[in-house]
Amino acid sequence: MMKAPVGGAKHQLLPSCSMLALLAALPMQAEAAGTRAGSTISNTASASFDTGGGTTTVDSNRVDLLVDELLDVTVDSSDPADVPTTPGATAQVLTFSITNSGNGVEAFALTTVANAGGDDYDPIVTQIYIDNGDGVFDAGTDTLYTAGANDPSLDPDQSRTVFVLATTPGTAVDGNRGIVSLVAAAKTGTGNPGDSFAGQGEGGGDAVVGSTGADGQDAGAFVVSAATVTLVKSAVVTNSLNTADPIPGATITYTIVATVAGSGSVSGLAITDNIPADTSYVPGSITLGGAGLSDAADGDAGDYNGTRINVALGTVAGGQTRTVTFRTTID
Amino acid sequence: MRTALLFLLAALMPAQALAANQVALDNSVFVERVTTDAAGKQRVLLEEPKVVVPGDRLVFVLAYRNAGAQAADKFVVTNPMPAAVRFADAGDARALVSIDGGKQWGLLSDLAVSMSDGTRRAAQPADVTHIRWAFQNPIPVGGTGKLMFRGVVK
Repeated sequence: MMKAPVGGAKHQLLPSCSMLALLAALPMQAEAAGTRAGSTISNTASASFDTGGGTTTVDSNRVDLLVDELLDVTVDSSDPADVPTTPGATAQVLTFSITNSGNGVEAFALTTVANAGGDDYDPIVTQIYIDNGDGVFDAGTDTLYTAGANDPSLDPDQSRTVFVLATTPGTAVDGNRGIVSLVAAAKTGTGNPGDSFAGQGEGGGDAVVGSTGADGQDAGAFVVSAATVTLVKSAVVTNSLNTADPIPGATITYTIVATVAGSGSVSGLAITDNIPADTSYVPGSITLGGAGLSDAADGDAGDYNGTRINVALGTVAGGQTRTVTFRTTID
Repeated sequence: MRTALLFLLAALMPAQALAANQVALDNSVFVERVTTDAAGKQRVLLEEPKVVVPGDRLVFVLAYRNAGAQAADKFVVTNPMPAAVRFADAGDARALVSIDGGKQWGLLSDLAVSMSDGTRRAAQPADVTHIRWAFQNPIPVGGTGKLMFRGVVK
């Protein structure tokens, strides 16, 4: 924006050195985002010459330009990789950073897009939180975002961390990806680069849409990490006749193989089996992975309580198996 | 204080009054916009600086005119770079630049910047603090001309 030129040399009483000192005092910090909106660029040239009577110096007129506001914003996903989630999980967090890459103070409206495709399921966005500055999500200290009520206002070059909370649908299965994009749009306006909003820039100038279109977005993704458990039980009968006939006094060795599949893991996995009627548990016969376990409910994983055996396997990752055996005799 | 002010005015007034009748220096600035037409040809337009944002290319034009009755010898035009403008290039090869606030002058290609580790590197356009044209020949009575340089809004 052009200001009225200040008078030319013949009206100029101030020596040019004073003029320069005056201009240097104007706010004109050079930041990465550029000269601050509302500052003034002033230019004055001088000429010296000699017409025979010694050197004469004249100043040109001064040209003042008011720097207008450039509207630019960038959004970056801060998660280094897909964020693991599980089917049905709530308050799953994606982290983003928004940066005011314009040259004026600007507020930004935040929205999310979860149904843009390119993934396997649509995360259900429930909330957006604005970080309190520590970069770690905490619903107690971070600010719940309400569009239009607390749109984050950022200085030029300032960044803010934003958390997007989503629920993973119960129908999602292991390996599914769900993408959520965070969109930040300048409140003054968005559009094509070069579009301008007269008089709406910081410092009284215009606001001009920059190369980002005054809105930015980036995508973060969840990946469902689930596991399934398959139990296979088999029995082998041995007797004193060295046959496989289940006659009284014969021993039945049960083998239960738990197979965990998937990219996730299962926690709290336990194998419990009731001792069948008309059979008796052989004391001390529980094994896990070939190693014997005691019948008492104690430090090891196995116990027998009179009616059933139980082996606590704890957390088992996908791709692993656990083998439990125990013996009974036929009454 | 008053005495000092009067001295200052006294020292300035004759030169200023004389200058008004001698050489006039008119300063104007334009924004250089490059547009690409449908055929892919680039066109450069100089516009009035209605809207100026960081990254814009500015063209500063200095028009001089000898309105006096005598030729103006040893004609030198000096323009300090505005703080928020990074020098890009001058319109002609005669332009001298300074990278130290106007103490030393030379062609940009001849100047070097001392680094903190004692080495020196070739001066870049961004180092330029002042630009100057020193004319070899007097400006005749009625003579006019234009000087220009480009800069980018920081």
